[in-house]
Amino acid sequence: MTTASPTEASLDELGPVDYVIVEFPAGASTFTGEMATELLALVDSGTIRVIDVLILTKNEDGTVDAMELSDIDELGPLQAVETQLAELLAADDVDHLAAAMDPGSTAGVLIWENLWAAPFASAARRSGGQLIANGRIPIQAIIASIEADEASSTEGG
Amino acid sequence: MPLRPGRVGRVGVIGAPVAKTAVVAKAVTPGPSPVAKAAVVTAAVTPGRRRRRI
Repeated sequence: MTTASPTEASLDELGPVDYVIVEFPAGASTFTGEMATELLALVDSGTIRVIDVLILTKNEDGTVDAMELSDIDELGPLQAVETQLAELLAADDVDHLAAAMDPGSTAGVLIWENLWAAPFASAARRSGGQLIANGRIPIQAIIASIEADEASSTEGG
Repeated sequence: MPLRPGRVGRVGVIGAPVAKTAVVAKAVTPGPSPVAKAAVVTAAVTPGRRRRRI
């Protein structure tokens, strides 16, 4: 009988990891703390675990400045999140992520583990299932599908 | 501000340059108002609501 190594066991319990980049065009950011409040609510409810956070600024000449969460003077409640970060992103990742940004903009990069999905994913693996594809359905695609349905039903009378 | 030394020289996890996704606010215009379209989308993904088969 073989037993899983601690690393294997840990990986088996890991939920899917996602990322988002939220861009704030130059002069359009109005930070009120609302985002931090919602993020903390997700963490406190055990829905997600924050793995990494970076704040990127893309200069007009295309160069990118990266700021750690710890570089912010007044973190407030986010201090608890900052102490748990794993610094997953590498320097190369900063360049890859900033490729989507417009010059003059600032963006927050958030990497998180979907804790809510971990038990289901683990159960699927124990049952012999293998993840072969995953993704996100854009709202635009849903709108297009609904509109196609509506157009089809109109044409069909 | 420089990155922490621990981030430099490591293998990254984002395999390639990221492309900007379409902004939802732009996708829902023109046509019916964004609010109206949002309501349609919400209705489409409401629990128990199955879409009609054509």
